[in-house]
Amino acid sequence: MDTAAELVALVGVGILLTALFLQSESFVGPLVRGIALQSLLLGVLLGWLAWSQRSVDLALLAALAVAVRAGLIPWVLDRQIRSFRWRLREVHAAQRVTGHALAAVALAIIAWFVFQETLATIFPQPGGALPFVLLVEGLLMLATRGNTIVQVIGYLEEENAVVYAGALFAPHFPLFVEVVVFLDVLGVVLVGVILSIQRDVTGTPEQGALEELAG
Amino acid sequence: MITSVPQGAILLLLTAPSAAAVLSLIPYAGVSRSAARAGSLLSLGAAVSLLVTAASGRWGPFLGVDALSGILLFTVTSIFATSTWYSERYLRTVHRPYLTPQVYYALLCAFAFTMIAALLFTDLGLMWIGIEATTVSSALLIVLERRPTSVEAAWRYTLIASAGLTIALFALLLLYTDTGTLSTYRLAATPPAITLPVLMAVALALVGYGTKVGLFPMHTWLPDAHSEAPSPISAMFSGVLLPTALYAFLRVYQVLGNPVPAVIRDLLLTFGLVTALVGAFLLQRQRSFKRMFAYSSMEVMGLALTGIAIGGIALYGALILIVAHAFAKSAAFYCAGNVLSGTGTTRIDEVRDLQTRMPRTGAAWVLASLAVTGAPPFGTFLGELLIVVGAIAAGAIWAAALFVLAIFVAFLGVNGQVGRMVFGEATEGTLPATANGDPGSGLAYLNVAFALAIGVSSLPYLSTALRAAAALFGGGAP
Repeated sequence: MDTAAELVALVGVGILLTALFLQSESFVGPLVRGIALQSLLLGVLLGWLAWSQRSVDLALLAALAVAVRAGLIPWVLDRQIRSFRWRLREVHAAQRVTGHALAAVALAIIAWFVFQETLATIFPQPGGALPFVLLVEGLLMLATRGNTIVQVIGYLEEENAVVYAGALFAPHFPLFVEVVVFLDVLGVVLVGVILSIQRDVTGTPEQGALEELAG
Repeated sequence: MITSVPQGAILLLLTAPSAAAVLSLIPYAGVSRSAARAGSLLSLGAAVSLLVTAASGRWGPFLGVDALSGILLFTVTSIFATSTWYSERYLRTVHRPYLTPQVYYALLCAFAFTMIAALLFTDLGLMWIGIEATTVSSALLIVLERRPTSVEAAWRYTLIASAGLTIALFALLLLYTDTGTLSTYRLAATPPAITLPVLMAVALALVGYGTKVGLFPMHTWLPDAHSEAPSPISAMFSGVLLPTALYAFLRVYQVLGNPVPAVIRDLLLTFGLVTALVGAFLLQRQRSFKRMFAYSSMEVMGLALTGIAIGGIALYGALILIVAHAFAKSAAFYCAGNVLSGTGTTRIDEVRDLQTRMPRTGAAWVLASLAVTGAPPFGTFLGELLIVVGAIAAGAIWAAALFVLAIFVAFLGVNGQVGRMVFGEATEGTLPATANGDPGSGLAYLNVAFALAIGVSSLPYLSTALRAAAALFGGGAP
């Protein structure tokens, strides 16, 4: 493996570590900073790929990762946390962090093996399994967390996984920049609009299953 | 540029709802409503012209129409038009709406536009953007009535649908890596070899788009969003959003050609049957009638997927089922909206004796419920019958048996509950339906009549288009 490939794989491992950290944290502030760090690392990786491949599209994706997912959205989320004390910690998740962390590690290992057994020959890039693992980790977070801000973080992690996969496996995927812009718009809609409506209407994020929505 | 397709109709389909969305924002009384009505009628006219001329072809690299998209364009614009008309009356009954009428109509038109665009795109990447855009445009409509449950439903919908669509995007990445194109025409002209990445792409697309279709176990957003949205929007969700998402999957599925590899066929069959059965059994225990109809939509999508998996005549039946269900379910939701505004509740046990309290709505609701659940002679019955016949002909007896079980259970559940609400005696715990009277259900009757017409007569143009659409997937009419 040459130095450039090692660098890409190394940053990829850093991204995976942030994903595992996110699974084992129940305080929302560190979670927001964790996803910002993950997006920043992804931005660095995309920037390196853009430079090495002389790709404008990848450079735009790097800029988007840093500006929107490492900057804008975490900043808005941080303001939400400061405004509302109940957003500080995910109470229910706090009692299950060990289980979350173990499940996250187990899922990462399973996803890695599944990738190696099915797609590794088609995508032989160093660290090729990492976007796949990241996608599974994002889904786990969405499925297991109840706090709306933490769910936004799960969504952002999924988006990072898709961008990571696109840059690694299909850098010439048509309209990829537009697709990512669209995902970012949706992320902003999530945090900017629906969280605000939730604040206006319900005043609380962790109300559990509302009775009318049961069944 | 290939010009075998009426460009004017495509242009009108795209510009009418988008222009209506912009014009709806003009803050003068009546402008938004009129703009939305005009936009919906113009787009319906354009869709009808495509259906009548049996248009098929491309316009530039990204736009085009064929029999399948033509049928769905007609269905989407029809329900868009009736929902726009129904909205005016419904909005009058909403107290303290979260959205102004201008914003409501603008979002309604934008929602229709995103579905139409998704159906017109011939590039799978753009189609994905169109489907994702339906989430953005429709999520805010769910919170119209300012209930905490509505906000929670909007949140779940946005998050779960987006998570599913991220998986669909992964599928497109895999497909592109293997084939080097996302053009549906190129993929149809030179079908790719059936490799592992292609099979994985189709499987992931099923999971990804299946989330938006409401397939089990990714269906959890569906009952929440459908039951909490205002009734005209519930009608669009159940009637046309789910089929539009299914359409996006079918375009990926199409790359497999015919015959479909057994592993994918079995996967579709399993997802379809399990979804139909889960939907049919879960609707039995619902306390809210809107939620019950939402689970019924889930059941019907499962039935349609089963028909697609079996192929042949069953696939033709699935397409009939999808179109007839769109009209029938929208009628059911319009009636549900009338009952909600008349009684102020969505609880089944609080609504009784609609036959005397809201006779016009009650009668329409009974007919719509029968149509939704596949009672003869509605189009849904014809579609379901063809799927059963196709399953038996294909030797999938166990699939036919489970299919019939799902239909039977859903039929008893929906019609039993609607029957209780319409014909059941009023008791102390039930609410009087006098708040807004019985506003009439002309639109519900209209849509039920169309669902009936599909079942009893071979509708010109539509039948031709349905046969042509089934043929795209190797399916055939009897």
